[in-house]
Amino acid sequence: MSSPLILLPGDDVPADYLPSNASAPLRLGTGLRLLSQPNPTPASTPSNHVLTATQAGILSTDNRRNAVSILPSSNRRYIPTPGDLVVAQVHHSSADYFHCMITPQSPHALLGQLSFEGATKKTRPMLRGGDLLYARVLSTGLGAGTEVELTCVNPATGKAEPGGLGPLNGGMVFDISTGMAARLIRASSSSSDQEDGVAGLVVLDELGKKLEKAGGFEIAVGRNGKVWVDCSNSEEDAVKATVAIGRCLTTIDEHNLNPTDQRKLVTKVLRDMKIES
Amino acid sequence: MNKEAPLSVVERDFILDALRENVRLDGRSADQLRSLTVSFGEEYGHVKVQLGKTSLIVRISSEVAKPHDDRPFDGIFNISIELTAMGSPAWENGRQGDLEAYVANVLDRVIRHSNALDTESLCILKGVSCWTIRADVHITDYDGNLIDASCIGIMAGLQHFRRPDAVVKDGQVIVYGLDERVPVPLNITHKPLSVTFHTFDEGKVVILDAARKEEQASEADVIIGLNNAGDVCYLSKFSGSPVDALVFVTKTTVALEKVKEINSIIDKALQADLAKRAKGGLAEQARAENDRLIG
Repeated sequence: MSSPLILLPGDDVPADYLPSNASAPLRLGTGLRLLSQPNPTPASTPSNHVLTATQAGILSTDNRRNAVSILPSSNRRYIPTPGDLVVAQVHHSSADYFHCMITPQSPHALLGQLSFEGATKKTRPMLRGGDLLYARVLSTGLGAGTEVELTCVNPATGKAEPGGLGPLNGGMVFDISTGMAARLIRASSSSSDQEDGVAGLVVLDELGKKLEKAGGFEIAVGRNGKVWVDCSNSEEDAVKATVAIGRCLTTIDEHNLNPTDQRKLVTKVLRDMKIES
Repeated sequence: MNKEAPLSVVERDFILDALRENVRLDGRSADQLRSLTVSFGEEYGHVKVQLGKTSLIVRISSEVAKPHDDRPFDGIFNISIELTAMGSPAWENGRQGDLEAYVANVLDRVIRHSNALDTESLCILKGVSCWTIRADVHITDYDGNLIDASCIGIMAGLQHFRRPDAVVKDGQVIVYGLDERVPVPLNITHKPLSVTFHTFDEGKVVILDAARKEEQASEADVIIGLNNAGDVCYLSKFSGSPVDALVFVTKTTVALEKVKEINSIIDKALQADLAKRAKGGLAEQARAENDRLIG
C-alpha cells in the first residue's frame, strides 16, 4: 500500500488495499459498492469482499476506523448518497413532507414534517418556500424514479446529530464544487496539527484565527456544493466578513490553491475588504 | 422546466443587505466589470468571450443569396441566439424561454437596427445577389449578463470577419476562394455596445455587470446601448419597479466609459490576432525566398 491507487467506475478494489483491521466491520464510504457477501464460513477474512468503484478517484483507507472510500474529485453534478450532509432549499410543503431542492433542476427531495429534533405535530418548524435547511440524506432509493429522502435528526437517538442540523437562518450561501465541499467536510471533521492541514486545506483554520477578534463565524458545508456562512456575531462587519469568507472559498476552489497561497489569499482578501484581523 | 431555480430567502436578503453597505459578492465596486477576455479562433469571425464565469462563442459566416425584393440594394444581416442545455441546466434544447426572446430582441436593436454593419456594402448585383452575414451566438456557460457578453462577441466577430472577394463580370457573379484573393473585411460604420445595469432597494442602488445571483435578486434592469462617440442607440427599461430618470442620465456617462474600455480590449485582441496572422498568412506563403540554407 505504498502508492495511491486510482480506480475507474467498475474496477474491483484489490484485496491487499483494504484495511486489515478485523475488530470492526468494514465501513464503506462514498463511491464504493459491495458486490457479493463474504463467505459465511468461519475462516472468512475481509479479503472475501468484492468491492467495486462507482466513481473515478483515488482510493482512501482508514485503518483505525476500518473504513474505505473513494476520494471524491470535483464534478459539477452532485449525486446524493445516504449519509451525506447537504444544504437544501425548501420549495413547497405538503401535508406530510417538505419538498426540498438539493440541486436545482433535479427532482425534489422529501423531508418529513416531523424529522426535526424534538418535533411534534404542534412544535414542528413552519418552513416556507425559499427557506434553507442543513439536512442529512437518509435514503436515495433504488432504481429510477425513486425519491431522495432527507432528515434533520438521527432516527436512532432523536437528536440533531451532528449538531446544527435543521433550519438555517441569516447568513449567505456560496456555491463551490462538490470536490471542494468534500474536502472542507474532511478538513473540519478531523482536527490535526499538520502544517498543511487536512486534505490540503488550511483556509478555515486561518480564517478562524483572523476573524476570532471580529466575533468568529458559523459554517455549514453541504456535499451538494453549497456552503452556508454566517457571521452575525461580528455586528457591523458581519456582511463584509461573510463576503470575505465566501470569496476565499470560491477562489481557492477555482484556482486549486496550495496551503501557502491559501494563507496569502486570506490575508489579501481580508485587507481588501478592510477587516481588521 | 425552462426556468432558473429561485433564489433562497437568505441569499436574496444578504445580497440586498450587502449592496446597501456597498459590498458585492465578488468584491467588485458597483461600476466595475468582471474580467473580460476576448480571443479568436483559427478562422475569421470565430470569437470566444469570457466575462467572469459567463462564456460564449460567436461565429460569423457569409453566404451569397438573393436580396429581399423590397430592398434590392441591401445585403442581409441576421443575429441568431439559442439558449441550449450546454449553457445552463435551467435551459432546455429547442424550447424558447423569455430570456432568449429578450436577449435576441436587445441584440437586434443594439447592433442591427443601429446599422453597425453597413448592409448596403454587402450588395453584389442589384436585386440579384448579395451577401448574407449571419452571427450565431452559442452560450457555453452562464453566470449573468448575457446581453453585454453577446454584444461584445458579435461586435468583435464582425470586426474580425473577412468575407471572400466577389466581382461581377458580364453580369455573372464570381466568388473567389479565401486562398485565391485576399478576403475583404466587413464595412463597420460604428461600434455600439450594450451596458446593463441592475437596480436594487427601490432604485437606490445601481450596479453594473451583475452576476446570475445578483440578477435574480434585482428589481429592474436598465440597458444602455451606445458607441465610442457617445451616441446612444438603445435605451430600455422593460419590466420591474420604476427607476428614477436621473439614473439614466448619470449611468449613460458610466456606460460611455465602459464602452470605451471594452472597445479598447477588443481592439487590442484584434491587433494581436492580426499580428499573429501576418506571420503565417498569404504574404508569407507567396514569398519568393525559401527556407533552404544557401551556402
